[in-house]
Amino acid sequence: MFRYVIKRLLEGIPLLFFISLILFLLMMNVGDPIATMGGRTITRPEDRERLKRQLGLDKPIIVQYAYWLAGNDWTTVDVDGDGVPDKQGTRKGILRGDFGTSLVTKKPVTELVGERIPNTLILMVAAEVVTILFAMLLGIYSALRQYSAMDNFMTTLLFVAYSMPIFFVSLASMYVFAILFKRWGLPYLPTVGMFDPQVGKTASQILSHMVLPVFTLSVPYFAAYSRYIRGTMLEVMNQDYVRTAKSKGLPRRQVVYIHALKNAAMPIVTVVGLDLPFLLGGAVVTERIFAWPGMGRLFFDHVSRSDLPVVMGILMLVAVAVVLFQILTDVFYAWLDPRIRYD
Amino acid sequence: MKRNLSLLCSVLMMAAIMLTACGGGGGGGGAATPAASESDSKTGSEYGSAAEKKVATFIWVQEFTTLSPLYSTGWFTSITRQFWNCWAWQYDENNKPYPYLVTEIPSFENGGISEDGLVITLHLRDDIKWSDGEPITSDDFKFTWEMTIDPKNVVSSTYPYDNVVSIDTPDAQTVVMNFETPFAPWQSLWQGMVPAHILRPVFEADGTLDNAEWNNNPSVGCGPYNFAEWESGSFARFVRNDNFFNAPAKIDEIFIRFVPDDASQTAALVAGDALLGAFIPYSEAAKLKDAGITIMTQPSGYNEGLFFQVSEEFSHPAMLDVNVRKAIAMSIDFDSFNQDVNLGLVQTPGSFWDSLPFYNDPAMEPYPYDPEAAKKLLDEAGWVDSNGDGTRDKEGVEFVIQHGTTTRDVRQEFQAVAQQQLAEVGIKLEILNYDSDIFWGTYADGGPTYTGELDLQEWSDAPYGFPDPDVYYWLCSEMPNNDYPSGSNSFFLCDEELDALVQLQSTQLDPAERQKTISQINQIFHDKVYWLGIWQDPDVWAVSPKLTGVKFSGVTPFFNITEWDLTQ
Repeated sequence: MFRYVIKRLLEGIPLLFFISLILFLLMMNVGDPIATMGGRTITRPEDRERLKRQLGLDKPIIVQYAYWLAGNDWTTVDVDGDGVPDKQGTRKGILRGDFGTSLVTKKPVTELVGERIPNTLILMVAAEVVTILFAMLLGIYSALRQYSAMDNFMTTLLFVAYSMPIFFVSLASMYVFAILFKRWGLPYLPTVGMFDPQVGKTASQILSHMVLPVFTLSVPYFAAYSRYIRGTMLEVMNQDYVRTAKSKGLPRRQVVYIHALKNAAMPIVTVVGLDLPFLLGGAVVTERIFAWPGMGRLFFDHVSRSDLPVVMGILMLVAVAVVLFQILTDVFYAWLDPRIRYD
Repeated sequence: MKRNLSLLCSVLMMAAIMLTACGGGGGGGGAATPAASESDSKTGSEYGSAAEKKVATFIWVQEFTTLSPLYSTGWFTSITRQFWNCWAWQYDENNKPYPYLVTEIPSFENGGISEDGLVITLHLRDDIKWSDGEPITSDDFKFTWEMTIDPKNVVSSTYPYDNVVSIDTPDAQTVVMNFETPFAPWQSLWQGMVPAHILRPVFEADGTLDNAEWNNNPSVGCGPYNFAEWESGSFARFVRNDNFFNAPAKIDEIFIRFVPDDASQTAALVAGDALLGAFIPYSEAAKLKDAGITIMTQPSGYNEGLFFQVSEEFSHPAMLDVNVRKAIAMSIDFDSFNQDVNLGLVQTPGSFWDSLPFYNDPAMEPYPYDPEAAKKLLDEAGWVDSNGDGTRDKEGVEFVIQHGTTTRDVRQEFQAVAQQQLAEVGIKLEILNYDSDIFWGTYADGGPTYTGELDLQEWSDAPYGFPDPDVYYWLCSEMPNNDYPSGSNSFFLCDEELDALVQLQSTQLDPAERQKTISQINQIFHDKVYWLGIWQDPDVWAVSPKLTGVKFSGVTPFFNITEWDLTQ
């Protein structure tokens, strides 16, 4: 197993290099970061020229990629924007852990990402836990009562939930649970942000502000996962070994939760394993609507300004997470199913 | 094993929440309320330290990128600066300037401007001071100028400081600015100061201010509030400056929450989770009014407009004919659009200087909506539908033009209306939309505006340095080309008469003389239809009834923030 993990990690290196090159080339063609630096006012030509040189955006793409990858501390750069390289570069490059500095905020990318990851994780992990928990319960319930009135009702409801766009669920839930509930004198939920400034950033405040975004994030995934679990459970429940377990007189609970569910969970582990790395990327729409300061908003804010270092930093973080979580999923697979051997 | 794993996950989850909770503090909210209950364990700073404090929550739909006056000219950076930083002069609700750090605004009459216009002298108040008690002196002014134009700093813009040749500081209260040529927009100088006693040592040590801690954590300021905290993507807090040199603010704390979505901003305002919203889309105004929230508009110089590309090289041949441009102006019902889509909150501007009545004199009237007259003009210009396909043509060229703008909803709605109304007079409009960073890409980057791809370009703009009336991008010398790829004249317009007047006005320090010149430019714009106003684009604020004493300026919106208060 150890050799297998090392081999997969080594295979990931050229893959990540290739991904970084493709993403960098794509990012270089999405827009001009200087174009929007003036806000409502168009950036002056003199400032455009100067900023382009000072930020190193006048260099050929391959040189910019080399600086991003390996740094520029081995060469001189044009600090004052007069077109003449005059100072030793200071960037170390992503290979040495330097993700660069945001073109927009001038903050290090690691600092920007570091500020947002905890916020994103508490939201996304909570949403994932809620999704899996309720999807399991409902999926198993539906599988055990296939074609019952409740199964048909839940199927209809879940298809409706799955087909609703996230922005609609977000705004509708905000309107009902924050505005209408308050108007009706019922206990209500907050609209936006992570906490009420009158109270402060306490754990209870964060929890109460998480309810609506977690609900919003969970709805479509919950609908999809529960249908998936229902399908795999139905398949497993018709297997010979389950029939054998039933005929042995084992309690129904034991048959379902010990024998059937463990095997039914195998494909679900794959789906969840593929989802997990994307939790780091946050949820662009939900974070935007609920003003949750996570990675999704960071990505959106900076991609709309063509802030290459930040966008590349986030994308590479997700890419690395995808590679790692795929390996972890395989390892987890072997743990769940002793028949699987990678050696 | 699995039970342990679940336990571990739960513990990690709670730890993440606690760590996030410990990550910063906050403060603010709806109105004057008691501090949080004892049961809510405080992990941030300052909460519950006072029995009662007045906290006002504002919503910004866009987060400022930095707080430093040097590193961003963005609107939200600029308006936030008024809480904690200071300007040499501020502007009232009529956009009239009044002295703030200076004893009087320089003029020819008071001797502040020399006869040749090359020397402008500021006399500073002797009671102005930074929040740490240090006096604000001429040295701070000189340092601000030096840092803005020093190429070692990657500032967002060196304008307007790059027009100042040198600054003399004969004493702590006198700033003498020397110019090579008269610089009419000089009032756009000194819109934010940097403290020399804090930042000079940083610059001397690092050789640049680019990485100065002060940029995002300005420990020392000169406004009615002190910066307290900024959590990226979430909020920023400003607490009252008890060392302020003017009357102290009535509200204890300003809490700014960053809410990028318009509908969410509306929901938060309606729910009472915020007291002030900015950049309110007209489509949200009715909902807010229904909830008892006041919508206040303030002219800020901006007007949404159509810019005609008139290039022999790039433009559709019809666009070169002034009568065709007039026909386009008369084919679109701008007034109805503003009534129906913008809910009558704004009018059709007749002039680029619509919100500067002094310079829009005589006031220009928009062209009337008259499709029949438009058809007649097009017929006379030789653009007729000779092949019966519904689109006019001339000498084998179909009248098909491109209209490009950004992806903003209301702009797309206007494009759809214009497309339909122009089709009724036989002009086919192809509509194109781009993200802002692509729309504004330079000639070198192949941006659609600067490479002649668009016959009609639409965006909102104001005179440069509003309330100064200056414009520059219609200059012939601003046309982009291989030798000057950053050129800003995306209309490829070179009108020698206009060019001379635009250059002249930028050197006229006498307002009366400048008014005459701007009026001439205004008339040319109107007669030759180089620009068409679509709607006035003032600042639109949503103000909760809990806020009192609220006034806005279009230049320094929070000029009277110290007088704002909260009702119980």
